Amino acid sequence: MSRTERLGRLGGLAVVAAAATPFVSLWVLQMNAARDPLTARARLDMAIWMAVFATPWMLAAWLLWRALWRQAGARLSGMDGPGWLLAAAAATLPADRRDWGAAMAAELAQVPDRRERWRFAAGCARAAVLPPGGSRAAVGVAGALAVAATAATVPATGAALPAGRVFAPALVGLLGGLATLAVARSRRPGGAGPGSAVAGLALAGVAACVAATTYYLAEHPSYHRLRPPGIAVSLPPVTAVVLAVALAGCLWLALRPPRWLLGDRHARRFGIAMAVVLVAGFVLASRRELRESTLDVGMMDYLFLALPVVLLAGSAAAAAGRSFRSGLWACAWATVLGAPPLVAAWLAEALRWHQQRGQLLLDGEGGLGLDANLVGANLGDAIWWTLVVLALWALPLGVLGAAAGSARARRRRAREQAVLDQPVPGSWGGGGGPRSRRL
Amino acid sequence: MTWARRPSAQTTAIVLALAEAPATWRYGYELCQQLDLKAGSVYPILMRLADRGLLETAWESEAPAGGRPPRHLYRLTGPGRVLAGELAAAPPASAKPVRAAGGVGRRPRPEGA
Repeated sequence: MSRTERLGRLGGLAVVAAAATPFVSLWVLQMNAARDPLTARARLDMAIWMAVFATPWMLAAWLLWRALWRQAGARLSGMDGPGWLLAAAAATLPADRRDWGAAMAAELAQVPDRRERWRFAAGCARAAVLPPGGSRAAVGVAGALAVAATAATVPATGAALPAGRVFAPALVGLLGGLATLAVARSRRPGGAGPGSAVAGLALAGVAACVAATTYYLAEHPSYHRLRPPGIAVSLPPVTAVVLAVALAGCLWLALRPPRWLLGDRHARRFGIAMAVVLVAGFVLASRRELRESTLDVGMMDYLFLALPVVLLAGSAAAAAGRSFRSGLWACAWATVLGAPPLVAAWLAEALRWHQQRGQLLLDGEGGLGLDANLVGANLGDAIWWTLVVLALWALPLGVLGAAAGSARARRRRAREQAVLDQPVPGSWGGGGGPRSRRL
Repeated sequence: MTWARRPSAQTTAIVLALAEAPATWRYGYELCQQLDLKAGSVYPILMRLADRGLLETAWESEAPAGGRPPRHLYRLTGPGRVLAGELAAAPPASAKPVRAAGGVGRRPRPEGA
């Protein structure tokens, strides 16, 4: 077995183990946190559930690793630690600085001493992660504005929207920091972007999400918790920070995507379509549920039923783009563009559910006869369930779909090639030799 | 193209080092060694000089021995040489000491562009 194959298998095992680790840890934590001693059957049941959730992740991790190793395994297996460090840092360089990554790598190949290689690679990595961009003055102004805006948000929110005193400064601070980073890394204002459709969709989604969250914080800053009974805050600090990070991250990835996410137009279109279908499907399913269903089940069933859509869409994107990568990037775009409007749609629909049924949108908890205002609980549900569903289930399923779609495209290519390679009777040369054209 | 204010001591050292033999192509690691600067300082300066049209870049045309990838080469452009002349004539700025250009280190090898 060659070194490349050996490292490929070891790396595959490592990424599968890494994907399984959070689920195993969660199972162990649950076992230790149980108040009463658990029966062997209960432990087994929980382990089975964890395996159900972990398996797509483990498979997805293995497929991703296999795709990476197929493409770059021969190159990566010939590298030492400094080479890996520099390759990882150079991958973050913007497209118009790509040559500089190759320049540093070529220079590293000439450095013989191991210690000196680490020193040189570390310096190059720093230069690759933070290459010179806009003028220092522009970076300074952007940074100062970010700090000033964050500082001004704290007292302003405290006075006008006390329930948002964590969320608002966290979001403004993160957006300001990312804007400063964009100015620092970019040579030209604007630079290569994903197009107006993606930018518009991302901005609209984030704006809608912020508006809906602000409405809830103003009108429903707390709610009556049923179990255990009491008053609870609608947006606890941890959830507020998670939402701010998710929104800022989505906006950053949509407006300043890394160069590997930019190249595939098919993936972008499929991603936009998937995001629109997920959000529109959610709203339509909510309206249908309110109109027709008499069961108090909420919208949890939609969250599960929407997952095959991601699987099929990932597969279709990979088949259309004829590559695993197309399906993968389509799922990434769908997550980035779909998460903020899905939270906004959830919060808007939840108000309708409250008015018509007095229930929570997630699971139909509550009811008109119950004298308790539960509306605020929808805020945490919308944030956590959207992130959990998209990140925990939809992304790995999208990877599996992409693998299936690219395998189908490969088989189709092989069939077409086989047809072209068949001997043609009576063709030039008389012997009916294979056609020379390759796909 | 000119600098709005006096370049940093490191930038000055790199420009002067490149100006020692302006027709010769130089390497990034070679400049690091000669000036005792870290790669994290040298490469951003080279990028900035190239952005401003003061530095010409090219790839080694002949592949080096041992299957190593071709290296990136640098030399000053016309405006870069003008800047080097101005910097050499101006009084030195007080800043972090940088090993003098041409003081230590290998002579540039006259490899083809």
